Amino acid sequence: MEFRELLKIPGPVILDGGTGTMLQAKGLTLGEAPELAALDHPDWMEDIHRAYAEAGAQILYANTFGANREKLRRTGKTVAEVVAPSVAAAKKAAGGRALVALDIGPIGQLLEPTGILKFEEAVDIFKEVVRAGAEAGADLAVIETMTDLQEARAALLAVKECSDLPVMITMTYEERGRTFLGCDPASVALTLEGMGADAIGVNCSLGPREMPPLVEKLIRWTTLPIAVKPNAGLPDPGGAGYDITAEEFAQSMAQLTDLGVKLYGGCCGTTPEYIARMAKALEGRTIRELPRNVPAAVCSGTCTIPVDRVRVIGERINPTGKKLMKEALRRGDVDYMLNQALAQTGAGADILDVNVGLPEIDEADMMVKVVKALQGVTDAPLQLDSTDPKVLEGALRVYCGKAIVNSVNGDEEVLDAILPLVKKYGAAVVGLTLDKNGIPKTVQARMEIAKRILDKALFYGIRKEDVYIDCLTLTVSAEPEGAAQTLEALRRVKAELGLKTVLGVSNISFGLPARALVNQNFLTLAMSAGLDLPILNPNVDSMMAAVRSYHLLMNIDRDARDFIAAYGDAQVSTTITAGKAAPAAAPAGERDLAQVVEAGLKGEAGPAARKLLETVPPMTLVDDILIPALDKVGADFEAGRVFLPQLIQSAGAAQAAFEVIREQLSGQPGQESGKGPIVLATVKGDIHDIGKNIVKVLLENYGYTVIDLGKDVEPAAVAQAVRTHGAPLVGLSALMTTTLKSMADTIALLRAEELPCKVVVGGAVLTPEYAGQIGADFYAKDAKESVDVARKVIG
Amino acid sequence: MPITLSKLNIDEVLRYMGCPPDKADPATRALAEDCAAQVLRAVQPRWSYRVFELTPEEGGVRLSCGLLLPGRDIKAHLQDCRRAVLFCATLSAGADALIRRAESGDMAKALALDCAAAAAVEEVCDQIEEELQGMFPGCAFPFRFSPGYGDLPLSLQNDLLDLLDAPRRVGLTASASHILLPRKSVTAILGVADGPIEKTIRSCLGCPAHDGCQYRKSGGHCGIS
Repeated sequence: MEFRELLKIPGPVILDGGTGTMLQAKGLTLGEAPELAALDHPDWMEDIHRAYAEAGAQILYANTFGANREKLRRTGKTVAEVVAPSVAAAKKAAGGRALVALDIGPIGQLLEPTGILKFEEAVDIFKEVVRAGAEAGADLAVIETMTDLQEARAALLAVKECSDLPVMITMTYEERGRTFLGCDPASVALTLEGMGADAIGVNCSLGPREMPPLVEKLIRWTTLPIAVKPNAGLPDPGGAGYDITAEEFAQSMAQLTDLGVKLYGGCCGTTPEYIARMAKALEGRTIRELPRNVPAAVCSGTCTIPVDRVRVIGERINPTGKKLMKEALRRGDVDYMLNQALAQTGAGADILDVNVGLPEIDEADMMVKVVKALQGVTDAPLQLDSTDPKVLEGALRVYCGKAIVNSVNGDEEVLDAILPLVKKYGAAVVGLTLDKNGIPKTVQARMEIAKRILDKALFYGIRKEDVYIDCLTLTVSAEPEGAAQTLEALRRVKAELGLKTVLGVSNISFGLPARALVNQNFLTLAMSAGLDLPILNPNVDSMMAAVRSYHLLMNIDRDARDFIAAYGDAQVSTTITAGKAAPAAAPAGERDLAQVVEAGLKGEAGPAARKLLETVPPMTLVDDILIPALDKVGADFEAGRVFLPQLIQSAGAAQAAFEVIREQLSGQPGQESGKGPIVLATVKGDIHDIGKNIVKVLLENYGYTVIDLGKDVEPAAVAQAVRTHGAPLVGLSALMTTTLKSMADTIALLRAEELPCKVVVGGAVLTPEYAGQIGADFYAKDAKESVDVARKVIG
Repeated sequence: MPITLSKLNIDEVLRYMGCPPDKADPATRALAEDCAAQVLRAVQPRWSYRVFELTPEEGGVRLSCGLLLPGRDIKAHLQDCRRAVLFCATLSAGADALIRRAESGDMAKALALDCAAAAAVEEVCDQIEEELQGMFPGCAFPFRFSPGYGDLPLSLQNDLLDLLDAPRRVGLTASASHILLPRKSVTAILGVADGPIEKTIRSCLGCPAHDGCQYRKSGGHCGIS
């Protein structure tokens, strides 16, 4: 019988128990690779599998948990060499009585952003295991003991993309209800069901007694069968076994039928006795059928946002009409976008729209870069905003969670290109009520398009809750009847189609005075008409105030808790607050800019610079005020009068002043680019980038354009950047003795390709002598010295 | 035995930041204090340990599980010990995320968070060490020794983590270049001697600021033992 049929039969499905425990009992020594058991001790593995089959297990996990190339590296065996005999041993023992699962465990290295393993590399590592397992005749794949949803996604994609195997995924949680990496059951369930898992659940983690709260959370967010495979209780901290008996285990597990669990097994510390007793205790018990109404929701890997009230989508990461954002995109300055993200979530955005479309840049490449970087700093779910399927697929692949795709429209070609991607990656999708013929004049025609989009989405297997309709905001100054029509269409989509709705709010007021006023009132009308997901600028206080007021008035904000938290002691203005999360600035001009920079007062630097710019040309301000102030701080640093934190704070203040200057300069032709550019990178294999980032801030303050390649950078990527940008100077950093070699390799490559650049190196373990040995032109002992080097090389 | 951190030594955070505590201006001290508080809220210390018998050998010291700790320095360090406790500790991914978030906009804060997290790892290790020492009454303990000290190679990290089942038990891994991830983590070997031993100090060798230390770069010393 196949796995999917097994799931359909009423009653519990029995899984096997621990393998490691059994191997140790057979005589496997600590330090011996358990992955090789089927090769080194084939009889042991067969015995273990047979014992589980006899105990009643209907699915046997082959001993392939650690059979990936990273973990096998130290054994000298290939994946195929290990997977084939491991699956064969299980199949032989099963003898047709049980199904055999290809067991896929974690790679053993953390993925980005916590670790450095790249997502696509992880997918590739898993694909090798899946191919070998499918070839060896496994009946299903089991992905287990995952603590990172992103790694689980990589494994799931690998199974889907190179086999037809059904797949079950179980993650490992801690008692606080999250995994080591902070993933919660809701996000895990939404994401993995969206991507096509056949069953999901919990394994390892804790004991059976700690399962109920986890199961209860999971089951609210999925319609899939739930699997539970816990340890034999809680572990002894010194590594000496687990704390509950086989009978206690069996009794606790049997209780879980009341919570709707479908598949039952054991993990660490459990033996065939545990499984046999558990199977017996489960005999005759019926699994309670619970209603499975999973609400509309989106999530990141660590945060689920149900669309059960008005949820704000921040619109600021979008270059349209934003000079500074365009420049940041051209420079590849991802930090700019990260700051926009943090400012918006700080102001109350629940979800962030991400649009990086600019004709002169590689949108697909930039989108992936920005999505990855955003995931490193914010928990907020993302709305991926592009019309290009290639851009969307790249972003969906690396996005950890359930994203929103913005957008499709009623055009069949668009629907057929994008909806399959939405389905494959388990996203939600925004459908615009327009098609090839443009935006329809009548409400009825917009309804028809919405219906067409819904039908097509259902056809592709996307659930109704994941289709959000955007009835389109028309500029009211140009289309006087537009607003009323939009609101009517919104009302009907809600009532007649029962779909969630999205609307970009800010367009309504183009060409009008007091735009904030118009926007706010339109937003309020739209929310009363049923708008769920307004796309707006959350940094405008009055817009967030409208949302909070709506929640208060509709009794969604119970006891006015959120409202009071937000406005208990505040005044609401209708002006735009600073894009940065910096504290409100003191009145400008009270201190001169040089003093502000020397004192490192970030909040005052911008206003002080703005005031000065009224009378002083930008470049004079830089050359005569900012640079001398920084020089003074630098000299004090060298003399030991001020220390690293003050140096960086001064740099931060200068940076705030520069941002104001840059605003003024942008738009003036030929003034955009600074000196340089200078390429900076923390070398391959190294992730200690704090020193490099300090250097970056300082260099930028001296007017240099910095191309920051980040950390763990391949030598070829450095060479490529030097070539593309014609950089006269490269800065490389490394903190570990083990990564100095990468630094040497990078310099060697730059020299081999005869790139006419100088190289400055720095980092804890470097010495001037070693820097010379590996062919660097300069050694900088600290950030200040790297500025001196830049002045020498570039001027 | 869960580890809880309630406060950090702000002077130590300032030293890691490259600022002598007595010369820190009020703003810098306030930054260090604020960041220390944020770190304390974000971390989730986890740890795991195992006790091994030791056998000295030509090339180092062998643990009873079969793993060789190679090098002269570890051998000399453990010369009076018949047993050792191997342990690992991590602040978990929350600390890294906190620092990463600051790095995109405020490097001074990022530096202070990074240093506060370094101080937090030390504090966690001190608590673990105290707990472990309590398990061996009447014994003496040389300072805890980690891969990267002296000639004990960093490449040992993966083996040590495997012995502690660290990826599964505490979520701690090592990258291909032997960097511990999450970053604010430690593996260490605490020797256990049955009788009194000559007291040695850890000094710069085991300091989390180690080679990045501003004092050391200028030929000085911070004053911590």
